[in-house]
Amino acid sequence: MSTTEPKLGAEAAGAAVDIAAPVTSVASKSPMQLAMGRLRKDKLTLISLAFVVFFILAALTAPLAVHVFNIIDPLKTNQDALDSFGRPNAAWGGISWSHPLGLEPSVGRDTLSRVWYGLTFSLLIALSATIIAMVLGVVLGIVSGAAGGWVDAIIGRIIDLTLAFPQTLMLLALSTTGLIMVRTYLHTPAGNVTAAVYVVIVLGAFGWTSIARIVRGQVLSLREREFVHAAQMMGASRTRIYFREILPNLWAPILVSFTLMMPAFVSAEAALSFLGVGIAAPTPTLGNILTDSVRYADIVATYFFVPAIVIAAIVVSFNLLGDGLRDALDPKSDR
Amino acid sequence: MGKKLKRVVAASAATALGLALAACGGDSNDGDGGSGNNNAEPGQAGGELNYLQHFLFEAADPQRIYYGVQLANWRRTVYRGLTAFPMSEDPKVSNTPVADLATDTGTMTDGGKTWAFTLKDGVKWEDGSDITCEDVQYGASRPFANDVITGGPNYTLSYIDVPQKADGTSTYPGPYKATPEQQKQFEDAVSCDGKTITFRFNKPWVDFNAAIAGLMMVDPYKKSADKGDKSKWNVLSNGPYKFVGGKFDQAKGGTLVRNENYDPATDDPEQLRLALPDQINWKVNDSDTAGETFNDQLIEDSPDVQNAITTARLAPQQLLKVQSGEPKERYTNVVSPYTDYLVVNAKTVTDPKVRRAIGLSADINGFIKALGGELVSEPADSIINPGVTGYKPNPAWADRNLDGDIEAAKALLQEAGVNGKVKLKVAYQKSPTYDKAFSVLQESWNKAGFDVTLDGQGATYYDVLASPDKDIDIAWAGWGADWPSVMTVLPPLFDSRPNISATSCNNDYGCYESDAFNKLIDEAANAASVEEQIAKLQEADALLGEDVGYIPLDNQKFNWMHGSKVTGFTTTAASSSYPELGLIGVKQ
Repeated sequence: MSTTEPKLGAEAAGAAVDIAAPVTSVASKSPMQLAMGRLRKDKLTLISLAFVVFFILAALTAPLAVHVFNIIDPLKTNQDALDSFGRPNAAWGGISWSHPLGLEPSVGRDTLSRVWYGLTFSLLIALSATIIAMVLGVVLGIVSGAAGGWVDAIIGRIIDLTLAFPQTLMLLALSTTGLIMVRTYLHTPAGNVTAAVYVVIVLGAFGWTSIARIVRGQVLSLREREFVHAAQMMGASRTRIYFREILPNLWAPILVSFTLMMPAFVSAEAALSFLGVGIAAPTPTLGNILTDSVRYADIVATYFFVPAIVIAAIVVSFNLLGDGLRDALDPKSDR
Repeated sequence: MGKKLKRVVAASAATALGLALAACGGDSNDGDGGSGNNNAEPGQAGGELNYLQHFLFEAADPQRIYYGVQLANWRRTVYRGLTAFPMSEDPKVSNTPVADLATDTGTMTDGGKTWAFTLKDGVKWEDGSDITCEDVQYGASRPFANDVITGGPNYTLSYIDVPQKADGTSTYPGPYKATPEQQKQFEDAVSCDGKTITFRFNKPWVDFNAAIAGLMMVDPYKKSADKGDKSKWNVLSNGPYKFVGGKFDQAKGGTLVRNENYDPATDDPEQLRLALPDQINWKVNDSDTAGETFNDQLIEDSPDVQNAITTARLAPQQLLKVQSGEPKERYTNVVSPYTDYLVVNAKTVTDPKVRRAIGLSADINGFIKALGGELVSEPADSIINPGVTGYKPNPAWADRNLDGDIEAAKALLQEAGVNGKVKLKVAYQKSPTYDKAFSVLQESWNKAGFDVTLDGQGATYYDVLASPDKDIDIAWAGWGADWPSVMTVLPPLFDSRPNISATSCNNDYGCYESDAFNKLIDEAANAASVEEQIAKLQEADALLGEDVGYIPLDNQKFNWMHGSKVTGFTTTAASSSYPELGLIGVKQ
């Protein structure tokens, strides 16, 4: 958001005009306070934050709504509400008070229930994959940046290799073998659990490279800082230097990468589902609802737009939040 | 021609089908009430028809053809048979063979063990030579060479009375490898006397003339033109058309032009082949999207497909586009010869009462809605398709509640003394549509007190089904008759003797074994007349209903689109519910 820079300028100008204000009041702000201040002024980021919180709350409450309170049932069919061609009777894809987002054609399952519950599975997959990618990326990034030399060279080549790997293609080609391997080595029950684990592993295993590169870059400058040298002088172990001295200074890029990686994995899950890998219906995910809805897109458009809009809203809100956080935490970052 | 009535079929297909089709019958010139339906006009000769084919044929050799649509359409254009099925929308008419190359529909003697046909005078090959009795004899001998003439129907191999080996296979190796002695044994069984050919069988075959009306296993073949496997794509026509160059290109198709050596006087054009267009351009495109593209063009009626028909059925997502407006005039919805059913594994679900409870509680209407509704399927009340001669609703299933009779099922389960929930594993061939359809059935079964798990299977589905010790309790299956006789439905699917061995249940997926049923099948096979045979088979079907050997699900429906300049578009039982090429003409 380029608006941040002029704002900063205005802030500085305001401070210059207000001669009476003590200089110390500006100096006393910690970097955290500065960042929060910038964030509070960024309306768009706050709105997207609200959306993100909403989606996360929805994902957390869905299992309760299904299993404890029985408000929604993503599997119950309502074929009485369909005509003889399998289309919802009511206009707009069967939207009514009892089915606020309409019905799934051909079997008449409630779209709101499916999307709501599907959100849980989609976000869970995206979150798990993001955590795997983050841990891998941060650890390898720190080691690579701090150790330097041949370790750095090897990790750098591994990153290159991973990036050069035709991952979507391999993911599809290897899915049969991959599912069998997941089932044999991780002892997951066949079916959706295995499929979900496979998707999480693959997304995580291929998604860590960008964060590793960012972290490595940060570490390269951090390792020359005095506190790192001081720790080295005092005989701190490598592990301590990496994870006690360097890591706490990396939370800003990690947080930003996290918020940007989540939406990428939400849409990756949808894309993989479309290609036939991942959790299969009737268990809902945003991806398999979207895949299913495509078949009815020109007959019952409402059913197609609901999951599409939800996925779009998740991706956009997480992305805007990530961008806003980056601007707030590191206004000099060059995009 | 019959087009308006067809739409009646579409509107009330579930129940009024038989009546509507029967009312349709044949060529009607009684006006169209000014609806502007161009297809109601009688067809006129001339013009060019485009035939858009979206899959590959396997052969052009009559003895090697097995695709229903190819058998039907080539019978009308290039390969005449001794008998043929007439072009009528009434299945009773079109399932009754009439004479084609032969003077009549054959003379059966010796209780169905001997059949004789006499060839008409003046029937000729496209090269001008006469079709002789020896040509028919030679054609009938070719399927025995099952190392060369592969892919076609092989029923004759077990019937024609040549010496058999201990395992029941024939000693006659076909015309290419036969010793003079073996050839003589065959020519004794299939013998020529002037223009009369006589088939001698080792067991009765009372509807032989119906079997050969559709299948081309004893069609004439000119010996001098036979190059074995090399003539796989050669077409030596004896019908109203011939292929330019005498060849069909598997990947491209071919062009049919008038055959000047065909004499309509030897034929019955009104019943068997009107042969209206002067030329038929057979165009093949077997890419994955071809079928859908053909139909998209037909729906739009773009100029280059206005004179076109296609082998590709409308895709589900195209169906609702043609339910109104101009495209509806060119749309046809018919019941296909394919019936889907559920088999219950007799080894794991041993109590017939429990099996019946499964059938009664199934929500058939919901199942069909999930498949795509009334345009895609209609409820079935027997495994025997309504288009098959001898179809009769199975008494056990005729009056069931198609929404699923939960209460009746619960009562039956109680009667059977079942404690707790009965666990059932249900297998079907996995697809997004069938996943949904079976989740509907699952719901209704669970309501009745079963605990159902679904098991969507991949490409090896039928191999899994054939396994005798599978843990599957209920399985989906589909079947279409080879010729419109119940003999091609019940015996291959439920006769335990040829099916069940130590390693496989073959087509008897539920491993159903009943001596009473097998006895009825034997009586049907040895019946002296078609009527007696049908009566026995209906009795056998009723027995299957009582034993719950199967649960009828749905009769699949076909959805067709054709161009605006095409006249006489319809489908018949004789054309396997594909477009009936013999009636189709083109408006100039």
